[in-house]
Amino acid sequence: MSSSDQNPQASDLPSSQKTAADADTSADNSVDSKSTTHFGYKTIEKDDKISMVAGVFHSVAKQYDVMNDLMSFGIHRLWKRFTIDASGVRPGNKVLDLAGGTGDLTAKFSQLVGREGKVVLADINSSMLNVGRDKLRDKGLVQNIEYVQANAEYLPFEENTFDIVTIAFGLRNVTDKDKALRSIYSVLKPGGRLLVLEFSKPEHELLNKAYDFYSFNILPKMGELVAKDGESYKYLAESIRMHPDQETLKSMMDNAGFEQTSFKNLTGGVVALHKGYKF
Amino acid sequence: MQASINKALSSQANSQPSTPFAEGLLLPQVATATLELIINKALALNNNKAISFAALNQKTLTLALAELSFKLSFSVDTGSSPAMVMVRSQVDTSDCTIKTSIKTLKKLKANQSLTQLIKQDELDVNGDIKIAQQFANIAQSLAIDWQSELAKHLGDVPTHKLLQFGNKITKSISATGKQIEADICEYLVHEKRLVVTRSQVSAFNGQTTAIAHEVTAISARIDKLFAKLAAK
Repeated sequence: MSSSDQNPQASDLPSSQKTAADADTSADNSVDSKSTTHFGYKTIEKDDKISMVAGVFHSVAKQYDVMNDLMSFGIHRLWKRFTIDASGVRPGNKVLDLAGGTGDLTAKFSQLVGREGKVVLADINSSMLNVGRDKLRDKGLVQNIEYVQANAEYLPFEENTFDIVTIAFGLRNVTDKDKALRSIYSVLKPGGRLLVLEFSKPEHELLNKAYDFYSFNILPKMGELVAKDGESYKYLAESIRMHPDQETLKSMMDNAGFEQTSFKNLTGGVVALHKGYKF
Repeated sequence: MQASINKALSSQANSQPSTPFAEGLLLPQVATATLELIINKALALNNNKAISFAALNQKTLTLALAELSFKLSFSVDTGSSPAMVMVRSQVDTSDCTIKTSIKTLKKLKANQSLTQLIKQDELDVNGDIKIAQQFANIAQSLAIDWQSELAKHLGDVPTHKLLQFGNKITKSISATGKQIEADICEYLVHEKRLVVTRSQVSAFNGQTTAIAHEVTAISARIDKLFAKLAAK
């Protein structure tokens, strides 16, 4: 990737990539055409995205938790706690923690659903799943957790299986977000809810500028120093910018069939929690 | 309960780009995370092995304090070893919900009657009160040996010396406080004469009562004399 790609201005990008909102107006909100999609600011063949994203996460899996704490100053723990609070989880519930990575949400859900409940930690990436499984076993959380390697677009579960599905910091890496949302809708029980915790668009311009500077100048350097992989963290910053903004994601959820969809901005909109029900 | 769920759902139905201040700053999450850490740390340090969470497994106690804009919900998971208490700021259902204030909780701690506080509308309990009592019993039964915990980090001798020094400092501060209080009293009572002593107040009260009695007696005699004069 050229140096100009590191922090491109909107005008440097192809017109289809200027903003997430501009890019995500088609039926498939993450693609420019039927055969291409985004990988950060790059336009790539759809079929290549899974392996490219996999490459990023295989590379960062072992340092994932450390980097999360460093990059967010620990605030990601509060965002995840907010998600748990908003989920309305009860003892006995079945929960799918999609793109669950190293299992932060799964650990909490496992304790809250109890022995009668079940949590499925699903991730497309085997390295992340292995790190998550080791971490949860080390914490003694084994009784009600299952591990499944799965693509969010083709969930390998029966219809009407889960009370709650969460996807935290994972949706932006999915190639076809609309297909993934429809797939999630299908596996939710009537009355079940989806919670999407994802980076979003900051509410204030000043915060947006500071966030841009941090994302494109400091974050890749931190990635280089700690995870020895600056490129993956450059992808992270770019993929956040290419992800649909709050309102766009909300309408994507509406289109997938979710009802009473809503979102809450956290930390000035740096992150947003979207929630939708299946009735 | 259903009405409150419907209300919660309909309030969430609209997008809320402008999030309430405390919620946007995630203050409820900071508070619950801190509480959860403290509670579970205290449970890990507890030496009273008689404490059992079995009856509280997957039960939820919710505290709605007037001083806080969010609720505090405590749930127990006995599946973990040791049992874990989880604190959340939102729950749809709770086995016991207590609406009160920190002031009232202090009264409860001072053994004021629960029934009396409920009658005075200072405390509202919904659900199974036994859940709240069991949580309270566990909190009261915790036995933490701070001295040996500190010794694990500092060593036995430094801990002993530190505690000895701490006790000396506490006694010294207490004695100095009493001395300062006595000096201020003396200055105000005897030198500046701004306030009077308790015995002076009591003597004054005694004299006032005596005068009041005398006035009453005289008043009675006058009434008698008037009555005699009226009869003649």
